Amino acid sequence: MVAGLRVTLDLCLIIWTSGIVLGTLLGIAGAKWKPVAVPLKVFSIILAAVPALVLLFWMHYPLQTLLGVVIDPFITAATALSIINISLVSDLVREVLRDFPQQYVWAAQVSGLTEKETVLHVKLPIVLRQTIPSLLNIQIVMLQSTLFASLISVDEIFRTAQRINSLVYRPIPIYSLLALFFILVCVPLHGLAYYLRVRFTRDLSER
Amino acid sequence: MLQAENITKSYGKHLVLDDISLELAPGTITTLIGPSGSGKSTLLRALSLLETPDSGSISLNGRTYEFGQGQKNEIKPPWPEVTVVFQQLFLWPHMTLRQNIALPLKKCGIGHALKTVNTLIEQLDMKDFADRHPNEVSIGQRQIAALARAFALQPKFLLLDEITSALDIEYVTAILKKLNALRDQGIGILLVTHIIGFARRSASQVLFMDKGKIVETGGPEILTEPKTQRMKEFISLVSYAH
Repeated sequence: MVAGLRVTLDLCLIIWTSGIVLGTLLGIAGAKWKPVAVPLKVFSIILAAVPALVLLFWMHYPLQTLLGVVIDPFITAATALSIINISLVSDLVREVLRDFPQQYVWAAQVSGLTEKETVLHVKLPIVLRQTIPSLLNIQIVMLQSTLFASLISVDEIFRTAQRINSLVYRPIPIYSLLALFFILVCVPLHGLAYYLRVRFTRDLSER
Repeated sequence: MLQAENITKSYGKHLVLDDISLELAPGTITTLIGPSGSGKSTLLRALSLLETPDSGSISLNGRTYEFGQGQKNEIKPPWPEVTVVFQQLFLWPHMTLRQNIALPLKKCGIGHALKTVNTLIEQLDMKDFADRHPNEVSIGQRQIAALARAFALQPKFLLLDEITSALDIEYVTAILKKLNALRDQGIGILLVTHIIGFARRSASQVLFMDKGKIVETGGPEILTEPKTQRMKEFISLVSYAH
């Protein structure tokens, strides 16, 4: 079970890091340059239409057959779920930046704030307040999506639990432990997202 | 002196500012009146260079900004020497009102910022709500805070867009007194307002704008004896509404 937990956490770490870092960078690029925004939007619409499981299976079987390669299922799962996370995060960041009320920047400009001060004291705090709660919720969904990796033979926590259960047949403690793991990780993240939303985004409600 | 000459501005095919020329002197109050959609807010944004005019020029204390074909590539806007309080206020929503006023002053030193902010909070009777966020106070209190943020900058020219529209009579009186005090300190004020009484008492210049043009200009006497038919109609409507 511990080995499965480690695989799940490794998978999560890759998906979260790539999604947050690359998704944020692509989101910023998309908000700044239209030639980047258009293909990103088209890609995210197509990706949103394809269920995560279908993408995972497509990358695991047909794509590898087409390319004539065999890739470790862990890498396939990490890549497929990272692509989804990057797309979701870049969509979120791009939309928050694109919809940022220019008037707050005007107020900063006429108050004599420099561009750097405006970004640091006005834009960044407002953008973070608008982004972080949704970002956390996306990461929770991505953590739960790692279960799909079990279907392409990645020995993550769910597949390990299934294996142990098939050997000893004690579904109640095994699946309860599995549920407990997700509760222990997801509930604090949900709580944090809720706290941040209540604590900070209320300040934006004037608009 | 803040001078605008032959300013034009269009959004697509819609001409919003049509050959506007005006002059704001230090230590004076100019009131700008006109119906909604006449271009008053756009003019304020153009004068403060938040929006670059399509043509014309703006001179400020010896510096000249030329627009259109004569425009130089780089414009360094005169902020906060010229500052604006917008009709919609635009207080930064993640900060308390006190922090909103203090942020632009921080570069002058924390001690100076604190002293200025505390003085303004005292003068504008903001003590009870200065430490709340913009969404926790009334529109009137937000307007006071937006004004305090502008006053704190000690600008040379202050452009105010219908700043008293949501205030009750006590706040309006306090603000108008403060404007008179700022004028007496040598600050040039351009005030978009429909408070004809204040314009009559305190303004040295009145501008009437309609459909992107300054239709009539003169001293406060034009408020009682407008020359153009359009201004007569507008003044009678405003008088009726108030």
